[in-house]
Amino acid sequence: MATERSTDGESWYGTDEGVNQLRGRLFEWGCLGAMLFGIAMVFALLAYVALDAIRPLTADPGWHLVFFLTLVAPTTALVGYYARRDRQAGWVGATATALPAFCLLVGSGVALLLVEVVQPIEWFGTTLALLVAAGIVYAHRRFRARPAEFERTLVAVATLAFAVVGVPGAIPSLSRLLQNAPLALNHATMMLYSFAAPVAILAGVVVARRRESRRDGGVAAVLTFVGGVLAVVTAPTVGISDHLLVVVGLSVAVPTALYVEAVVRRRDNLAGLALPVVAYAGMFVGAAAVAALGFAGPEAWLDWQFLTRAHSRFAEEAGIYPALVGSIMMMLVVVVSAFPVGVAAALYLEEYAPDGGTAGRVVGLIETNIANLAGVPSVVYGLLGLALFIRYADMNTGSVVVGGLTVGLLILPIVIISSQEAVRAVPDSMRRASYGMGATKWQTVRNVVLPEALPGILTGSILAFGRAIGETAPLLMIGAAAVVFSPPSSFTEKFSAMPRQIFAWSHEPAGEFRYGVLAAGVITLLVVLLSMNAAAILVRNKYQRRS
Amino acid sequence: MTNESTNEDPTRPAFAGENRTRTAKESAIKWFLFACAALSVFVTLAIVATLLFDAVEFFTRVSPVAFFTGTTWSPKIGESFGVLPLVSNTLAVTVLSALVAIPVGTASAAYLSEYATERTRSVLKPALEVLAGIPTVVYGFFALVYVTPALRAVGVPVGTFNLLSASLMVGVMIIPMVSSLSEDAMSAVPDSLRQGAYGLGATKFEVTTTVVIPASISGVFSSFILALSRAIGETMIVVVAAGMSPQLVPSPFDSVQPMTSAMVQLSTSDLAGGTAAYYALFAIGLTLFVITFSMNVASNWVASRYREEYE
Amino acid sequence: MRDTDRPTTESRRRFLAGAGALGAAALSGCIGENGGGSSGNGTDSDATETTDGVSGDVTITGSSTVYPVSVAMAEEFERDNEAVDISVDSTGTGGGFENHFCPGNADINGASRPITEAEEENCAENDVDPRQFQIASDALTVVVNTGADWVDSVTFDDLAQIWGPDGAERWSDVRDDWPDQPLELYGPASTSGTFDWFTENVVGEAGSHRQDYEATEDDNNIIAGVEGSENAIGYLGFAYYQENSDRVKAPDVAEEDAANAVAPSLENAQTGDYPMARPLFIYPAAGSIREKDQVYEFLQFYIEQSETDIVSDIGYVPSNADLRDENLDTLDQIRNE
Repeated sequence: MATERSTDGESWYGTDEGVNQLRGRLFEWGCLGAMLFGIAMVFALLAYVALDAIRPLTADPGWHLVFFLTLVAPTTALVGYYARRDRQAGWVGATATALPAFCLLVGSGVALLLVEVVQPIEWFGTTLALLVAAGIVYAHRRFRARPAEFERTLVAVATLAFAVVGVPGAIPSLSRLLQNAPLALNHATMMLYSFAAPVAILAGVVVARRRESRRDGGVAAVLTFVGGVLAVVTAPTVGISDHLLVVVGLSVAVPTALYVEAVVRRRDNLAGLALPVVAYAGMFVGAAAVAALGFAGPEAWLDWQFLTRAHSRFAEEAGIYPALVGSIMMMLVVVVSAFPVGVAAALYLEEYAPDGGTAGRVVGLIETNIANLAGVPSVVYGLLGLALFIRYADMNTGSVVVGGLTVGLLILPIVIISSQEAVRAVPDSMRRASYGMGATKWQTVRNVVLPEALPGILTGSILAFGRAIGETAPLLMIGAAAVVFSPPSSFTEKFSAMPRQIFAWSHEPAGEFRYGVLAAGVITLLVVLLSMNAAAILVRNKYQRRS
Repeated sequence: MTNESTNEDPTRPAFAGENRTRTAKESAIKWFLFACAALSVFVTLAIVATLLFDAVEFFTRVSPVAFFTGTTWSPKIGESFGVLPLVSNTLAVTVLSALVAIPVGTASAAYLSEYATERTRSVLKPALEVLAGIPTVVYGFFALVYVTPALRAVGVPVGTFNLLSASLMVGVMIIPMVSSLSEDAMSAVPDSLRQGAYGLGATKFEVTTTVVIPASISGVFSSFILALSRAIGETMIVVVAAGMSPQLVPSPFDSVQPMTSAMVQLSTSDLAGGTAAYYALFAIGLTLFVITFSMNVASNWVASRYREEYE
Repeated sequence: MRDTDRPTTESRRRFLAGAGALGAAALSGCIGENGGGSSGNGTDSDATETTDGVSGDVTITGSSTVYPVSVAMAEEFERDNEAVDISVDSTGTGGGFENHFCPGNADINGASRPITEAEEENCAENDVDPRQFQIASDALTVVVNTGADWVDSVTFDDLAQIWGPDGAERWSDVRDDWPDQPLELYGPASTSGTFDWFTENVVGEAGSHRQDYEATEDDNNIIAGVEGSENAIGYLGFAYYQENSDRVKAPDVAEEDAANAVAPSLENAQTGDYPMARPLFIYPAAGSIREKDQVYEFLQFYIEQSETDIVSDIGYVPSNADLRDENLDTLDQIRNE
């Protein structure tokens, strides 16, 4: 170690008078400063956008005061307490607070799909048909002595196909039959049977496994179903349609309840649970107080109107709703197309690909090729989508499917590369142990490698999906509309996506569009994106800590 | 039970009781996975075909020499299709953004890998990843609506669309690429090298600058090249904030038009389809593709050639 | 070493499989329903008023100049016809014809210039029959600095001298009574329709324009540039001038004789007195008019509203009653072909 020893002359590790620490300190602070500069600039810009979108300074001082007293002060005090005394409890509290918010986002997304794409009756028919199919497969396995694998797969595939699709042109699917059945059920009952019931069963199973008690599982399932019924009953007071409230309410309540149950059962860091209670109670009390006292909130550009309206040439009435739904639908296509193909490709390249010889060189070429594709500009992918899907395959221009496939192609190399890293990180000893027990290659991959690599795969993929949701240039090229007035009701309809809408708004001449509506749109996009990124980081942190 | 086990993979022991169906299934799975991997080759071929097809159409109307050596880009006035102004503008954006991203990114990587404690790392790393998560159209919006007025307020005489704000935002966007890849490279330097240097009496600063960074230089350089190729291909930031007038010698305060912006403009403007100007879009795309492709190949080559294998 | 409360691999896989199957089934259910359910949401309790109950899609692409008009018309039409899905995309005139309209993927293409022969041929090859309707005009406005009191009117000849390929360097080169100061020029980019019309009709020849001027896609730049210098002159669409009429001055324009110069205004352009009004067109496909009721209804609405305030609020010149009636007749003719 460098110490303050006098030596006979200068050498590269110090001078006669000892070591000058100044250079090192300056370098360290310089590096830190540079990094903080970049981070600070971006966060400052984010703050500017948020201020423009929400305009908190236009609210009454009383409004600020009330929320300060009921929400900000208690929460900050509690967080300070956690930071000083009990960090673990702080993490638990943060997770417990963020979880309902995140689940609310996801639940709203699912509810949006129910509103625009899938009718409740379709959901009902399909879910019931699936349950019947699952039941048939289960019964087949139970009652048929040692069926061959081939027969099992055949039965499973056949029942699934029959349940959902039927024989096209000849026999209607079970799902369709159920939909046309003369059952006079209203939407709420349908959702109760086809959403609340399966979720209740799932929750019950999870709780039963955790607590190793069937009775507890049963209690959990019943409670969940009761929660669904509660949602239906309270819907009129809340103001949302009952079947939607079932979806949203259960999406928020069930994961939160499961998490809280885990914390309570382990009796670990119970103090952390105080944070969500304080935060949410403070929010509700504050809202009630400002309503009672009559303080006006901020005249935000980002309000409920903005989220539920379509575009208008009048800035005050413009909204992002069709673009929001379009983005969600496009993401579904992206996930369904890019994720399986990407993971499959990564599995091949890491597990099956030969190493040496000509075959090895071909594989090496494929890997280089994938790495290069990751760097191709997005506008070129747009041209590719235009030529491949619209011109050659004659799909509808600007449809959700084309947009999703094009963006899926764009993120495919990223998914492949990050999945490869995750699979590579699985220790070889686990594979060899599996082979040692007599498993085939596919069995090893499916039962050992894939589950072990799944967190890494998920992290990388979620980050890639985050990139996909923000891509604009490919959408420009394939003809995604600048403005649609209602969301697409099927995947082959023309759509608009959030970044495309934002880009269209940036060309409007009126200043209010640039500084108000645009800011609100950017914040909406960022909220969705940053929650996806946060989910990815949480998944990574949780599984890194475990290992 | 038949015993015809075909043992293609020598690392996998042959089992008694292995049957044909299972091997057939394994084979089928392997070929399916291979098809997924080979899809990427198909994608590359499709991209090249798409671009080449219409670019060739363009080159039958405008000579390649005029395209690659011409110094004026004005598709409408005088029909001159010299791509050099566009390339020069792209280079200008890339250089300016590199001036921002390379110092900040390398410094961040050095700090995170050498100096930061576990706690600081757990806060700063996610913060840097936020930079990577912001969509590029949002960066473009930032440049147009916040950075340009801020620059004006400080006294820099920039126009509404200018090179400086756009490159600044491009630079900020690629900082996480530089920093995370460089940090991986620096962390991969084995600790024994550092300990050896400390044992000789070096300070932390000397270890970082004379041991760690040189040892990881291949990874660091390859991260530079990757980030720069991303900057070259960046579309939305320049479309929103940099303007539409290509200048052979760009000034940071005026509007410029890089290649990607020209492509977007050509495909969304009032030009008639079927004209040389419209097909120029594909010629520029081909040029861009070749440039980014070669930079990625160069990055791989640098990484593999100069990588030091330890242990 | 596993936590007992962490879901086991088996249950996690089952959950993922279940979720994936549900998702896939939901998707397949949607795709299988070809066209999905109704376009509205099931929570709408108020009965929506529909005229004739038209429903379906209308796809509009085309020029970025006509885009605001199409968006406004679509917005107003959708108020009473919620079952119609109108999508508007700003692809540029040429891009719209080449990539969307001629291949048969769009019903209407907005254009700030007439369709070219090549584009007509392209459409004909795909059995698409475009018909021209002029629905508005864009009054091009010349702007000078508010302090430039020597210029109250300009003629086409003056403008050609200023903007032509070998354009004048100083104001006094154009007219003797103008000051001996250098000209600073701001104008639209060469890919815009404004540029096209200006070169063809004012300078005299398509594409004939000087190159050394401040070209920009954002008309706000032209305003800002002209505002900033006494010697500056520019030209742009009327909409931007209307929004910034306090910052710059717009001299009168005459085609030949300075004595007949007319001030730029929507009224003057509508009556035809103002000479620098470039027509804006929409090209619907005849097939769409005949086969799709919603396109026919929408076009009727569009043409009817094209001479109202909706257009002038945007800053374009509305069509007049005669042109509107003529267009309506043509539309009905096409419908009954």
